[in-house]
Amino acid sequence: MIQPKKFMYSPGEHEAETASSSYLMSLIAIIVGAPLPILNLLATIIFYLSNRKSTYFVRWHCTQALLSQLSMLFINSIGFWWTISIFFTSETITNKYIAYMISAIIFNIAEFFVTLYALIQTRKGLHVEWWFYGSLTNILCKSV
Amino acid sequence: MKKILLQGTLLTVLFFGTWFLFAQINWMTIFKVQKATENTEQKLGKLFWDVFKKTEKENTNKHLKCNIDSMVSYICEANGINRTKVKVQIVEKDEINAFALPNGYLIIYTGLISNSASQEELAGVISHELAHIELNHVMKKLIQEIGFSVISSMTSGSGGATIIKEATKLLSSSAYERKLEKDADIKAVDYLVKANINPHPFANFLFKMSEKEKDKTKQLTWISTHPDSRERADYIVAYSKNIINNYRPVLSTESWKKIQSEIKKDQ
Repeated sequence: MIQPKKFMYSPGEHEAETASSSYLMSLIAIIVGAPLPILNLLATIIFYLSNRKSTYFVRWHCTQALLSQLSMLFINSIGFWWTISIFFTSETITNKYIAYMISAIIFNIAEFFVTLYALIQTRKGLHVEWWFYGSLTNILCKSV
Repeated sequence: MKKILLQGTLLTVLFFGTWFLFAQINWMTIFKVQKATENTEQKLGKLFWDVFKKTEKENTNKHLKCNIDSMVSYICEANGINRTKVKVQIVEKDEINAFALPNGYLIIYTGLISNSASQEELAGVISHELAHIELNHVMKKLIQEIGFSVISSMTSGSGGATIIKEATKLLSSSAYERKLEKDADIKAVDYLVKANINPHPFANFLFKMSEKEKDKTKQLTWISTHPDSRERADYIVAYSKNIINNYRPVLSTESWKKIQSEIKKDQ
């Protein structure tokens, strides 16, 4: 799911702090924005944009933090609108709905702990790549 | 790139696989969702009927009640509907109306019975309302119109009397959404056919009422709250035209004539 890798250079203290902040932003956004999934994405987008001219290490981790939000945005948005439709339309609670919400909660918890791990590691100046999102970030985020 | 695509696909499969596996578990029973819903419906049904009883006059004519009960029982038995769940209440009112309340309450106005040209017409309207009950349209409509939170406050006793009155008014004098009305019409035809009751008089009733709609002196609540009566009559005829059955009346001609004359006498 997540593995430590060697980065092309050793990041400085300030870089490690800023890079880890991108994950901290994700964590806060997950907690605050749980009922409104779009908030998670907005918070990381704002953080990404404000750091897009920063050093490679910072940009790389901001990009990974942003990309990791996309799948959760998709899963949480479906859950959110499905719940709203139960409250305000003729839609009713079904087995499928409960199963979906449990799956979504499990994935959110997993995402939370992976983000927390990434936050701790990057704060130490260590480079960690997520499964899928790490590879995707490598394509999107170039050193120059 | 291939690696990323594979990882992305696996991640998607992992999520949908988890969902699929969890969907195999009967969460509705574990969380007692069904039971909680039934309890809410029971409380709401009683609440609405109690409010309704205070403002309207219930018809207590035993002969009339007995015959209408027989008709409802006959349709229910033929279609495997749990008759004990259906609570028929006849209300003394000139309006041509019938409607369903939560928890299987079926309210029929005497105006509907006296204005039905035949017992098959009445059986058609009853079947339509039974379909709303069986297809859970009543609760769906309530949730849609007044919201889940208001319903919860009603059942917990904190709902105001005005809200309850308004909700009762909503159920008695407004239509369900178009799709639900059509579903109930088609289901009603199925109920009638299974009970060997001719569904064509039901379509005729709609035709007849759509014509009468122009007459503002008539209180055609059931029709005015069910739009496009002509269109509905058309698809009822189209749906039932190829069904061949040995149709027969539920009540004897004498009984039907007697209940109609009794209502007219009371009026």
